[in-house]
Amino acid sequence: MSGEEEENAAELKIGDEFLKAKCLMNCEVALILDRRYEQLQQMSDDPTNQISQVFEKSMQYVKRFSRYKNPDAVRQVREILSRNRLAEFELCVLGNLCPETVEEAIAMVPSIKSKGRALEEDAIEKMLHDLSLIKKFE
Amino acid sequence: MVFLEVEMPWNVLIDPDKLDAKGLLLRKAIIIRLLEDIANRKASKEHGYYVAVTALKKIGEGKVREMTGEVLFPVTFTCITQKPSKGEVLVGTVDKILKQGLFLKSGPLESIFLSEKTMKDYQYSAGDNPMFLNDKHSKLEKDTLVRFKIFGIKWIESDRHFQILATLAGDYLGPL
Repeated sequence: MSGEEEENAAELKIGDEFLKAKCLMNCEVALILDRRYEQLQQMSDDPTNQISQVFEKSMQYVKRFSRYKNPDAVRQVREILSRNRLAEFELCVLGNLCPETVEEAIAMVPSIKSKGRALEEDAIEKMLHDLSLIKKFE
Repeated sequence: MVFLEVEMPWNVLIDPDKLDAKGLLLRKAIIIRLLEDIANRKASKEHGYYVAVTALKKIGEGKVREMTGEVLFPVTFTCITQKPSKGEVLVGTVDKILKQGLFLKSGPLESIFLSEKTMKDYQYSAGDNPMFLNDKHSKLEKDTLVRFKIFGIKWIESDRHFQILATLAGDYLGPL
């Protein structure tokens, strides 16, 4: 991000790291942290030194706020969102907040409707519908 | 809450008594030390909060420190981080209520301040269980789930944390 431009996630003006690195949704982080937690228990006699407060708070949070729990559903959610040429950051916000209507989706991630983006309302509608189906059949 | 998986370098310092001829034990010592270092570091302005180390990618050649005999290993690892962004919409829970506003928490983010000035039509209501109410009987009390937007972030170096200001001004924001 250039220094003069002020950060604003609503316009997708976010740090470079969000464009370069891989972004992860709550449900994906929940799966990873679950596995890490088990590994740490096995690896160390006293895992308390390696499990930080940040780890614990994050784990509690992602478990509570993950809309999708089983690994197949989590994979499908990313797959559906990926079809729509979203930035990684936008993809994760939508996957986390699970908006129910097109209007809500645009309020949560205004950048998907900004100028020059090809995403039509029909496409957003279809994406939200597909996501709700996963939730229903999970 | 958007998490990131980033690759980064680090230097791990190993005591001479952990330098075992069997390579696997040395590797384990390096991993444990790395995990402890990252857990203690908590967060940085650049990366945000360090949530969990996910993989050790590379261990470079160790350099002996002459005075102590400790060995310094340059390593590269991947880590899940959480860095808040201005304008981002998040879900959190109400932690504490004050007359001037309330504090929210959300994952590793704590003390997120929501001023009563940015709470639209909510009014403070005192009592044993203080809360904020609006005329549609929607309320914000301890443990209420709230969808909010970040509108200010400041890195506090002394405590190694981000101070965050939240707002409810906007559509689809408020208690869930």
